[in-house]
Amino acid sequence: MSSVSRPPRTPSPSAEEGSQRYRRLIVSLWLLAVLGCGWVVLTTPVTADLTLFVPRADPVAELLLEQLRSGPTTRLILLGLDGDSETARAAVSRQLAERLRSTALFTRATNGADALPETELQALFAHRYLLSPTLSPDRLTVDGLHAALQQRLAELQSPLAVFQKRWLASDPTGELLSLLRVWQGGMREPTKRLGVWFAPDGDRALLLVETRASGYDLVAQREAVTAIRQAFVAASVGTGVQLTMSGPGVLATLAEDQVRAGAEWLSALALAAVVLILLLVYRSARTVWLGALPMLSALLVGAAAVDWVFGKMYLITLAFSMTLLGETLDYPTYLFSHRRATETVTETLRQLWPTLRLCVATTVLGCLAMLDSDFPGLGQLGVFTIAGIVAALVTTRWLLPALLPPNWAPPRPVTIGAWADAVLHPRPRLALAIGGCGLLVLLGLAIETPPLWEDDLAALSPVPRELLRLDQELRTALGAPEVGHLIVVTAPDAETALQDSETIAAYLNRRQTEGVLAGYDGAMRYLPSVHTQRQRQAALPDTESLTANLTAAVAGLPFKSGLFAPFLDAVAAARTASPLRPEDLSGTLLGTRVGTLLFPGERGWTALLPLSGVRDSRTLAADLPRVEVGQAYYLDLRAETNRIVAGFRGAALQRLAWGFALIVAVVWIGLRSWRRVIAALLPVLVALVFTVAALLAAGERLSLFHLVSLLLVLGVGVDYGLFFSRPDPDPDRRRRTLHALIVCCGSALTVFGMLSASTLPALRAIGLTVALGVAASFIVTLVAARPLLTRMN
Amino acid sequence: MIRWAWLLLMCWPLASVADDALTEVMRMLAAVPAMEGTFREEKTLAVLQEPLVTTGLLYYRAPAFLRKRTLTPQPEDYEADGDWLTVETPAAGRRQFDLNGYPQLRPFVEAIRATQAGDRATLERYYQLEFQGTPADWSLRLTPRDPQATAYVTAIVLRGRGGSISSMETLEPDGDHSLMTITTR
Repeated sequence: MSSVSRPPRTPSPSAEEGSQRYRRLIVSLWLLAVLGCGWVVLTTPVTADLTLFVPRADPVAELLLEQLRSGPTTRLILLGLDGDSETARAAVSRQLAERLRSTALFTRATNGADALPETELQALFAHRYLLSPTLSPDRLTVDGLHAALQQRLAELQSPLAVFQKRWLASDPTGELLSLLRVWQGGMREPTKRLGVWFAPDGDRALLLVETRASGYDLVAQREAVTAIRQAFVAASVGTGVQLTMSGPGVLATLAEDQVRAGAEWLSALALAAVVLILLLVYRSARTVWLGALPMLSALLVGAAAVDWVFGKMYLITLAFSMTLLGETLDYPTYLFSHRRATETVTETLRQLWPTLRLCVATTVLGCLAMLDSDFPGLGQLGVFTIAGIVAALVTTRWLLPALLPPNWAPPRPVTIGAWADAVLHPRPRLALAIGGCGLLVLLGLAIETPPLWEDDLAALSPVPRELLRLDQELRTALGAPEVGHLIVVTAPDAETALQDSETIAAYLNRRQTEGVLAGYDGAMRYLPSVHTQRQRQAALPDTESLTANLTAAVAGLPFKSGLFAPFLDAVAAARTASPLRPEDLSGTLLGTRVGTLLFPGERGWTALLPLSGVRDSRTLAADLPRVEVGQAYYLDLRAETNRIVAGFRGAALQRLAWGFALIVAVVWIGLRSWRRVIAALLPVLVALVFTVAALLAAGERLSLFHLVSLLLVLGVGVDYGLFFSRPDPDPDRRRRTLHALIVCCGSALTVFGMLSASTLPALRAIGLTVALGVAASFIVTLVAARPLLTRMN
Repeated sequence: MIRWAWLLLMCWPLASVADDALTEVMRMLAAVPAMEGTFREEKTLAVLQEPLVTTGLLYYRAPAFLRKRTLTPQPEDYEADGDWLTVETPAAGRRQFDLNGYPQLRPFVEAIRATQAGDRATLERYYQLEFQGTPADWSLRLTPRDPQATAYVTAIVLRGRGGSISSMETLEPDGDHSLMTITTR
């Protein structure tokens, strides 16, 4: 943790503690620390991406993340317009596309009506003999030309000739048409009505928008989404047309909104419940705000420490760490319940200090194992929790007594009747039975081996299922590439990347005819490699033979003589033209399209081939041809993400095991008795077994969120164990301990029980796990801790 | 100024007479339930040495079916039915287009189909109408309203007698023009 954020551990001579000066000093130090931490937190960015899960030096994972962060498929936003009449939908579609094109936020806004602008058309036309995929050597022979000219003549008789005859003289073989087909293709074009894209049934007009910012730049995506909404409002004035949107960016911002709304509402409710409990139990408003101070300090100091060490904070770390710091809510409760009128606040704290210190030490050590990690996410979690929990301890130990009158006690004395003694009476048989049960359940889990882990991040997505279905609907209707599958080619330079892409495209063409996939896109479709362009140039006949071929081909056809002179000139020019390279396209629509599919990075160039309608990804990936210089990877984003999450989980579990060993060690150092160590730690292990079994029985699979919650359960459970196993001869103090733990467990159950009612999968996972775990820990430690101790005594 | 006002007043009855005649022709055209005929079309194009002559058959059925079946020199079939245009050529086979998706095609289809259907509202949507003659012997000049369409077509002139169209002339901005004469069977 950062040095600024920790109040000094001043030894506390009791004579001075009473003095006003000493109190003021403590409070002002705390305020200073809080302000300092607040400043650090406010000035550090919070990022929401997945890099925290990823181990360093995993090439595929890095590619994947680059894709997730900035890949072209993550930039697509799919729009649907429903309601009102077909004409209204088409009109709104046109207006909306026009408005979106006029902002700088989008590189593309298409609705089918966007013919290429004249300048772009001319650019394509100018380079047709290098770019056209249909230009084969036999196309310019006598036979080839004759066939082409006959076809052009046939087209002239058609009523549609008015549109085509413009290009006749300079492009008799129709290469421009081939290029336009490429431009519009790549994806299967939706049906058109009134000139714009519509879903097949005609109920929904469709648009496709590509943002300039990456799909995981949530701030920019939010801006884009807002811009679309505003443009839509302006475009749809006076109509009943409604807008639906989808795409990774939209879903991500929506997820954020959902989490925020759901979490805010629930946390407000949970806060109210905790306040109510504290008020009911202690009858003092002071306990409410004093009780919140350790947790608040913990959050601030933890966040500041992470910001200070890592320079940035992941959103998910924040969420996980806040969960873990739930333990700190218990600390003031321990103090309040153990207050007795016969001693000062400081004396009570001194009584609790060894146990409290051990509680904190166990949690800190459990997290210490996470620090030594290749995973930045685990490291952040560790730093946050360690700094936070130490801050909470320091706040409880030194700030609370400074804020309380020395003889303060809750207005309502902790009265806990004789029944407490009955509850606390050791019941070794019951303890044995529970232990046996735990063993049986563990055995059952070992034999049954139910599917334990949920590695699919999508299962935890807070986005409602209807929206995911809408996304699929829009995607299918638009024929847009799926986010899921793509081939990534990396190469030292753009030319190699293009050549390798062409090798893979040949393979994909073959697979496409076999029906393994529906289609693909890639830079090489728009811009062939220089190698291919040179091959095409080499195949172009010289002016003399082309003139001879043309003269022979035109014989018997009614074309005016000399009509095709522009064609001869164009071919002659193309023979010596320098091939087009990516940099020649900058500033054009074609350049933009190529730029999202082929771009330079830190280590050379990357070419992307997004795939659509993949039916069998395994076969497709297995037979991927080897490229010569660069490397080609088949990325199934979902499978890869799951693999990475599983790896992260494995690492976390391993470190948890180390952490537990450290916990055992520190408890032994603190208690100096193996019996007490067993009494404090065994019950919580049994409780964890019960919790996992209950979760599995409830049909849950363990995700990262469950795992982190189990960590909290471990932390809290160890605290319960430590408190219940204190060999305290004073029955009154034992009652007070029970009182404290009932309050702690009760408020934890209330808060996390509420979370478990959430519709957000992540909150539900946390809530359910912690509520179950805390209840199990409380019951098991209550029943088993003392018998374990006394029996061995 | 007064002279202008006079002129306007003098023209008023004339304009309304032309309008009455157009209404009358539209009524007669609309009364035709079906039509079958042959056509001969002569296209004069800058790119060709000689005019391109095509012949074939023309079918119409009220209100929205029109088929132009070219027999010579290349067989071709164009069939407009409601919003759908079906094109069949030996080179490309049979293809279907939704006319809504190709707004530049629609005026071409409607020039003859909506005229034969006596559907003045549709005609007015795409063209400015200029009527001359009498219901017994009329000509109707269609000038495209959409500036994009004027890039391809200057005007289409239809001539007819009563409820039958006898010719359609298409004038293009580059000087190319075509004349289709229709003989009703």
